[in-house]
Order: sequence, then C-alpha cells, then structure tokens
Amino acid sequence: MLADSSIVVLALPQIYRELDTSVAGVTWVLVSFNLVMALAAVPAAHIARRVGPGRAAAVGLAIFAGAGLACAASETLATLIAARCVQALGGAAAVTAVLELLPATVGSEKRATAIWAAAGATGAALGPAVGGLLTELVSWQSIFLIQVPIALVAAVPILAVAKHEAATGVLSAELRQTGRPHVLANLALAMVSAAIAAALFLLVLLLIEGWNLSPIGAAIVVSVMPLAAFVASRFDHLVSSARARAAGGAILVSGGLGGWALLPKAEVALTVLPQVMVGIGLALVLSALTETALAGRAPQAIHGGWTISARHAGVVIGLLALTPVFTHDIAQQRNDAIDAGTAVILDSHVPPLVKIDLAGRIESHLEEEKGKVPTIGAAFEPLPEDPEERSEVVQLREELQDQLDRGATHAFSPSFGLAAILGLLALIPIGLSRRIEL
Amino acid sequence: MSAAVRAKVLVGGAIVAAIALVGIYLAAGGTSYVPAKTQDPCKHRPWRNPEGLDQIAEQFSLSALDGAACQLGVSRETLAQALATPEAREHFTKRYGIDDAELAKAIRAGLLRAIGDAEDAGALNPLLAAPLRETVKSIPLDQAIELVQNARSLLDSAESFLGPAQGFLEQLLP
Repeated sequence: MLADSSIVVLALPQIYRELDTSVAGVTWVLVSFNLVMALAAVPAAHIARRVGPGRAAAVGLAIFAGAGLACAASETLATLIAARCVQALGGAAAVTAVLELLPATVGSEKRATAIWAAAGATGAALGPAVGGLLTELVSWQSIFLIQVPIALVAAVPILAVAKHEAATGVLSAELRQTGRPHVLANLALAMVSAAIAAALFLLVLLLIEGWNLSPIGAAIVVSVMPLAAFVASRFDHLVSSARARAAGGAILVSGGLGGWALLPKAEVALTVLPQVMVGIGLALVLSALTETALAGRAPQAIHGGWTISARHAGVVIGLLALTPVFTHDIAQQRNDAIDAGTAVILDSHVPPLVKIDLAGRIESHLEEEKGKVPTIGAAFEPLPEDPEERSEVVQLREELQDQLDRGATHAFSPSFGLAAILGLLALIPIGLSRRIEL
Repeated sequence: MSAAVRAKVLVGGAIVAAIALVGIYLAAGGTSYVPAKTQDPCKHRPWRNPEGLDQIAEQFSLSALDGAACQLGVSRETLAQALATPEAREHFTKRYGIDDAELAKAIRAGLLRAIGDAEDAGALNPLLAAPLRETVKSIPLDQAIELVQNARSLLDSAESFLGPAQGFLEQLLP
C-alpha cells in the first residue's frame, strides 16, 4: 500500500490510452487515491484504536483487495477513480493499524518505526519498476490484481490478532495518551513527498510519452532509483542526526530534479545520475522525517496516520500543482516542435513531390495523435527507393524527430524545476525544527 | 569521525553533488535544448538559386506563404499546417478568428510578395512581373478561396495556387 502510488505511475500511460482520457484526467487515478488516503489516515487510526488494530487491519485489507478487483474490472475512468477511492479507504485503515501492531511483532517501538519508515521509502522507490514490468508483461489491470493476493496473504497473520482481540476485547486503559503530531516533520514530509511524487510521475511520462520507451524499458530505466535507495538505506545509520539526513536527502532530491529540468539531450543515460541522487535522497529524507514524526510519540497508529496523511497530501499537492503546468507546457512545446519540424520540411532539399507526399502523411499522423507528443517515424514509411532521395528523407526524419524530442523534453523542464523548488522548500521546516534530532 | 562531523559531511556532500549536477547539465546546454524558433515571416528570405520550373515554383510558394503568414500575423509553418487539410484550415480560422475572405486576401498579398521575391532573385523578368501582378490581383475572391480549399497539403495548395502563375512563368521565362 505504501508503494501503491508509485506502482500505478508506470501504468498511467497505458490507462491514458486505453480509457481514452487526457493527461489531466489520468492524473486523478493517482490524485483520488492519495487524497482519500490523506483525509482518511488519521480518522482510520482512531477507529483502529477503538475497534482494535487487528480487526481494523483485517477489514482494511479486505476492502483494499476488493476495491483492487474493482479497479482491474473498470472500463471507464470514472469507475476506476471511484474504485481507487474505496481502495484508499481500505489502505488507510490497514496501514495505520499495522503500525500499531508492528512493535509487538518486531520487539520494540523504535525498530517498528524504523521498519515502517524504511518500508515507505522502499515502496515509493520500488513501485515504478514493478509497475512497469507488470504493465508490459501482463496489462495495467494486473497492477491492481496483484495487490489482491498480497493483501490476502498479509491478512492471514492479522486475522489471528483480530481473533485474539475479539476474545479479549480492547481495553481503553491499554491505550496510551497521544502526544501532539510533529507539525514540522509532517510539513517537511508533505513537501518532499510532493517533489518525489512529481519526480516519479513526470519521469515516467517523459520516458514513455516523451521519448517513446515501452513500459518495461521505462521500468528498467527507473529501477536505478530503488537500487540507489536500497544502497543508501544500508548506510543511513552512519549519520545519527535525523536532521542532517532529512536536509541532505531533500537537497539530493532537489538536485536530481534540477538535473532532469536541465537535460541537455533526449538521452536515457542522462537521467541516470539524477535518479541516483533522487533515490539516495528519498531513502534518507523519507525515513528520517517519518522516524522523527513518530519518535517518542504514542500511539503509533495515530502518529503514523499523520505521516501517511502528510505524505499523501504532499503527493496530491505535487500532482495538482504541477499537472496544469505540465499539460500547458506539453501542448505549447508540441506546437513549437511541430512548427520547427514543418520548417525543416519546408526548407529541405527533398524533391517537391516527395515533400507533398510527406506533408500529407505527417499531417494525418499528427491529427491522429492530437494532444499527445507525436512519434513521427511511421509517417516516413515506406522510404523512397531512390538511394539519394532515401538518404535525404532519412535525414529529414532525423531532423524532425530531433525537434520533437527537444519539444517533449523541454515540456517537462518547468515542472521538474518547480518540483525541485518544492523539495528545497522542505528545508525550511527541517531547519526550523529544534526537536527533529532523535 | 564524530557524529556532528558526519552530519556536516552528509549535508555538504549533498550540496556539492546537487550544484555539480545542475552545473554540468547547464554547461552541456540544458537551457538551449528546445525546439528551433521559427523565423519571422515578415522578414525577407533570400531564394536559394532556383534551377528549373519546379524549384522556382517551390520558392514561389514559400514566399507566398511567408507573405500571407506575415499579413495574418502567424508563422509560415502554422499557415502551412493550416492549408494541409480542410479540417486544419477550419481549426486555424476558428482559432485565429478570421474568415475565408481575410484568408484569401492574405494569400493574394502573399502571391504579390512572391512575385516581387521572384523578380529580386532574377527568376522572373521585371518587365513581365507587372502583368503577373495584375493577374494575381484580379483573381476573384471565390477562386482564391477555392484554390485554398482544394489544397490537399501545403505544397499541393502551393502548386494549385501557382497554377495560373506557373502558366505565365512557362510562357515568360526564357
């Protein structure tokens, strides 16, 4: 569930095409889930404490699994979004309740907090790669279907706890008093999550829609992030200061986003170094801030609920703030790129008759892909048989594709830049916090 | 290394890495990787040594497009796309709030500019440019619209509206 937002990201381009919607429309598949999670996490945590975390987690997992089936069966965007909202309700109940159960399972509250925080960071980083593999090898529906058995397997040990609760009852005397939520840590968490969500969403769209990579190709490319996050999580104990880890992580996330905002060419290799930075950064910052928000606070479910709420609210803010910028820019850049491409054709040295034929085919192709970043290669097939003409047409195709690549890549730059600023803004609450040291 | 030093190294290292990455990408042209800007259609574009009637016709159509685009306040490329299909033309006139008469008027202005450009490039005898201008000026509005409406693509349309001019050229050029 902690990986849900990011796992769905790589399926979005396929959902976007199959359900015949817009970029802004498909964003709501993510926004709806995160919005409901943000709103429901804290109330769900309170309910979990009333009815018992075991029962709350079991019911939450059942709702999550059932809604996952509904997501997979959805044939329209509206039903998919509705199912995602229900799924988020189940997810909020399960995730917050599990945090309440974790200390007893792993032996200590501190260890439980660390595991829960690391799970959040790993899920966010790993999600896109898993989502891409499933989308390419099976279908976008499989992303939701795979969640069903996972939720059911997770429910088995929890059912035992729920039975125990039913037999013994939940005593309110056992419930420790809740402290106030750590506002600054949660605020920083929201800002960093906004930046990270935008990073994952935009990078995946850039790779698939902008540069025409397949979902599996994009999954392989973005797997750099979880690898970097995994390696970083092995070493984060070397720095005991949570504030330093949070600040360093936020700076690395912003630096990586800044790199994507300034890509000097449409080359996959150029996304790697920024990915390493974002991966290391998110592992450091998400775990440091989550641990800080939970440290010394009780009950864990409610403070965990606040961190879940902050993270998902951040994702919503990031997506809602950046999607209009991105969709406007992609439309503008598409037009600029097509104008630049038209100039290439008009000024080319290919014979007029070849130009006429190409112009017609390209215009029809652009009509078919209206509103999307076009791929132009097909419009040039079949190539002329005359070797000289063929070489001129191939050169023309390359020049035209170069203009489209420039347009597609540049369309993402302002959004990546804004996401980088969001990440840097997280340094304000991190800097202001005096109690952020563990 | 003390915990405080490790914390400073982490934050300092992150700052250095972030600045280095952004700096390298900037230096590699991160801000200039954008689609090429289209040229101002109102600025004169010299002809490239036209040889043969096909090339003259092509240059003529490009000049005409420039002239019409200048008159309409759009780029030559935008107008070229607009003339490629009837749907594209309808979308264009709606988007820019112009009617067919204005479009035809602009295309006639473009044709006049193309005659002038052909003259300047030595592709058209100056003594013969005057009657050609009169021909273009006297093309009825309906015919001008029809010439545009019948266009299948930019060059199709260019060749179509070059039809009368091409006839003249064949007669008047050496």
